[in-house]
Amino acid sequence: MAHICGPEVVKYACHCGLLRSISQLYFCRHCSKVRCSFCVCHEVDSIFCGKCSENIPSAEARVKKNRCSNCLVCPSCQQELWPRVAATKTSANPDEPKQVVKKMHYLLCQFCRWSSRDVGIPDQSSVTGFPDRENVYANRLQEVLDAYKAVVLAQKQAKENEKKKQRKKYLSYTDITGVTAAALRKRIGLPADRTHPLLKNKPKKPDNAVAVEEVDDLPEELFTEPVNLLEVTSVDQRLLYPEAQPVKMDKLFPVHKQLSIKRSLRCRACEHNVSKPEYNPNSVKFKIPLFAYYHIPDIRIVTVEPLRAGQTSELIIKFTNPTQHQTVVSFLEIALDEPEEPEIKEVEETMDSLNIQEKQHASLPSMTSTSQPSSLLSLGSHRQPMITIKPRQIFQTLNSTVEIPTSTFILPPRDDAAEFDDSGDTHNIQDDPKLVKWRKSNKAFIRLSVTPQEGLELKTEIVCGFAMKHLYTNTIFTQQPQKYEHKVKVFLTLGNLVGSE
Amino acid sequence: MPIYEASTEKLTVVLDIGAAFTKFGFSGEFSPRSIFRSEVYCKKTKKTRRIIDFETPEDLYDLLVEFIHKVYFKYALLSPKDRPIIVVESLLCPTLFRETLAKVLFVHYEVSTMLVLPSHLVAASSLPAETALVVDIGYKEGVVIPICYGMPIVQAWQALPIGSEAIHNNLRSLLTSNNTNIQNVTEKVIEDIKVKCCFVTKKYRAEQLGSSKPEITACPDVKYPLGGSDTIIVPGKCRERTFEVLYEEDNDHLCLSTMILDAILKVDMDLRQQLAENMLLIGGTTMIPGFKSRLKEELAKQLELDRYKTLKIQKFKFHTLPCKENYAAWLGAAIYGATELINMNGLSRENYLKDSHLPDWIDLKDTNRSL
Amino acid sequence: MSRNNIKILPGALVCDESKLRGDITIGAGTIIHPCVNINAEAGPIIIGDSCLIEEQVSITHRLPFDQQEKENTPVMIIGSHNVFEVDCTVEAAKIGNSNVFEAKCYVGPRVTVSNGCTIGAGCRLTEEQILKENITVFGADCQMREAIDVPAKQTLQMDTLMKMLPNYHHIKKPNKKTDAFIKQI
Repeated sequence: MAHICGPEVVKYACHCGLLRSISQLYFCRHCSKVRCSFCVCHEVDSIFCGKCSENIPSAEARVKKNRCSNCLVCPSCQQELWPRVAATKTSANPDEPKQVVKKMHYLLCQFCRWSSRDVGIPDQSSVTGFPDRENVYANRLQEVLDAYKAVVLAQKQAKENEKKKQRKKYLSYTDITGVTAAALRKRIGLPADRTHPLLKNKPKKPDNAVAVEEVDDLPEELFTEPVNLLEVTSVDQRLLYPEAQPVKMDKLFPVHKQLSIKRSLRCRACEHNVSKPEYNPNSVKFKIPLFAYYHIPDIRIVTVEPLRAGQTSELIIKFTNPTQHQTVVSFLEIALDEPEEPEIKEVEETMDSLNIQEKQHASLPSMTSTSQPSSLLSLGSHRQPMITIKPRQIFQTLNSTVEIPTSTFILPPRDDAAEFDDSGDTHNIQDDPKLVKWRKSNKAFIRLSVTPQEGLELKTEIVCGFAMKHLYTNTIFTQQPQKYEHKVKVFLTLGNLVGSE
Repeated sequence: MPIYEASTEKLTVVLDIGAAFTKFGFSGEFSPRSIFRSEVYCKKTKKTRRIIDFETPEDLYDLLVEFIHKVYFKYALLSPKDRPIIVVESLLCPTLFRETLAKVLFVHYEVSTMLVLPSHLVAASSLPAETALVVDIGYKEGVVIPICYGMPIVQAWQALPIGSEAIHNNLRSLLTSNNTNIQNVTEKVIEDIKVKCCFVTKKYRAEQLGSSKPEITACPDVKYPLGGSDTIIVPGKCRERTFEVLYEEDNDHLCLSTMILDAILKVDMDLRQQLAENMLLIGGTTMIPGFKSRLKEELAKQLELDRYKTLKIQKFKFHTLPCKENYAAWLGAAIYGATELINMNGLSRENYLKDSHLPDWIDLKDTNRSL
Repeated sequence: MSRNNIKILPGALVCDESKLRGDITIGAGTIIHPCVNINAEAGPIIIGDSCLIEEQVSITHRLPFDQQEKENTPVMIIGSHNVFEVDCTVEAAKIGNSNVFEAKCYVGPRVTVSNGCTIGAGCRLTEEQILKENITVFGADCQMREAIDVPAKQTLQMDTLMKMLPNYHHIKKPNKKTDAFIKQI
């Protein structure tokens, strides 16, 4: 794993302008662009408990306030609590010949040895039946909340009435005759007042809050008694339970464990998933794994000659083709100022038209969004227009130049069986010997020459960069795989300068 | 009719991003789901960075993207897309911060509606009280804004940099005389010492301890173990004098008590007594034991001075919140959020994208439009 | 350096591969794994009954620099029912009963451990202090809290080890009678 997660010496430029190592990048096959976690849309895929590994449907999680109903967390150190069987109790009735053995449980933290007995919670007969506490102010706050709801509702009603009145451009019957609506209602035998049912039973206005002049004084013993630090809680312990925020250790109560999620990632431009995990919490696999690691040639540094300012050093890098299709790689000069190319040359027509549409969104977000009617109710069925964030400029300074080779080289497709095949290279590839040093199966070792800029100080970190163009075969459309060239900017951190000329 | 919308309750995230702690929860609930530090873990430097320590506007954008990600995917467990959000903010919130936050929410996370509520006003609503003098003491600063009949009197605002940051710095310098290595101790440890050992002492005790020959003995010293290899000695004098920074008048002769009285001075004469009888203290710093009683003492002392003779205030009364002080503003917003208000007054994404701007009371363009 | 003087009481199980140096007395029912390093450098070490000393543990009786001048040699006393988990280093001169030293913890020579304490995995205690009864030290920054009672005894584990260890390791024979030990005290 070290080569995947290890030091990030080779970085690829994401379409959005951020630099990431290849293991952190995604590749959207539908718009053929490199994406990173910053420029994809994250969505909650499934919710589970990290301790009991149980999947919890989102509706249930909502009811349970995003906490696991079974698992509890230590209020002292936030580690998980484990139920422990206490001494089994026999039934208190001595007359019965058959004694009923009753298991009692308490909770124990294995890390800080906090136990539910510390705060006097009685042992429970079931593992999950530990009591929860309620907000002491709940009733009062509910009253306040209801009152506010009513006020705002009345306001809204008033606003709507206003609107209705404005709409009436023509003279109404009541205006001409002078008969008021109320009188009219009376005449036809309807009840005199018609208010909205929700408005009618107005919740009673909560009593006004009373301010008091007396305030709690400091207890005298604070000035004389020493403080036992073991009894006072820390800020983190207090905030774990926002309602109560206990100050003393003996008021700490176990807290239900916060649930975790699995995320699925969606390309912002084409709304296709680039990563979707499996539903099972124990599985680490993916249903949709469009990681760049599977699609873009992987580059690793093999050797670098000692770097001296102004002098050319040999750099050998290894290219690996992860795909099932042969590819051709060529090098281009890197241009940092120009943002990512707006269009990718491709053959597929539908793809093309798709891209144009998106580009319009990207360039004129305000125009497209205004065309949509604002409606909160129709959100579910009607997707709002996409906003694509403009790619930012790549933030990386280059202090060395790479001599861009003019020739290209071929990378054969990945063949899992080749690893066990010692018969040597079956590919008969004509290589430019200046460029390709050695090759084996889907790997090629490429020789480049790097020249650090002159006048750099000793131990300066040397970064070089080039644009890699490789032939990408898209297999997403079943009829015929499409081939087109994909370009990505690559940055190599080569190490520190060891000397000058 | 949309009247029935309220019954099909939608989960609305209510967020109060403070300088030190962020309060997060859902509308219609009476306590935040969680309160956590406003900081994100930086993968590059392998350090946690506070949001208030941002360097450039772009840096702030990236920090907020990371932070909102944490809020939604670690705590809310919801996709932010096409969902409304309620944000509590101080009326004195910097424009850069609120505009960047709006950009992050609308452009990066594509929320459907954003409702921004002023913290002082909504804090009073949880009582409920129509008129109150709201004193908010947070991490960076203490801000006083009077609320009169449901309207914040913005022109009477008062603010001083006397939040917990100033208190931490004071505690650190007080501890220097007894401990050698105190400058290298992290602020988290200082905060822990403050929370565990310190309190706001009485006025006469503070004056005595401040003098060169105190007639009283300070409270007992505390030995605070630091990571198994060191001990910080917290002298009783430090424990009592940590919060004195709130009442030490600065070069302009301003401190917490004068700030409150100045705010009262700036409102209409008829409202002054009413405000004094409806004091509301919010913010984490006001939770320290002895805070209220000391404030009352200090206010009474200031009233005797010539400076505030004109006030003619007889007494001060304090409200008791139906919650803990540190999430009072959040609670008010959660109550607001449970009403129809978000659909009526919230800023929708379409409207935001029209001119990429979050309406603000300070902006003439927005205030004119509402009139 | 004084020569080795190891006293093993009957019922103790001391593996031959363990490195014991100096004047050490090992109480009944105590299990010492192979690769344990006990070094009575500055004076005798007395280990009480039913202690469990696991692999890679290092118990050293070493005096702090400022106390080395003293005439009478102090004794390092470890009480009974203590558990020393894998790779912990203990130099505390006074240890009571029923303490747990978790894996890779370090307890310095200036620390006095009373009874029922737990030193968490990886915690380093170097500051001169007396750990009160039932104190638990845990976490990266050595937080402390007071537990409600002593940690559970490892009786089951020790019974198994008593049976298993002699099957695979050479054992040092007990060389003291219980009576003699009592007289000595």
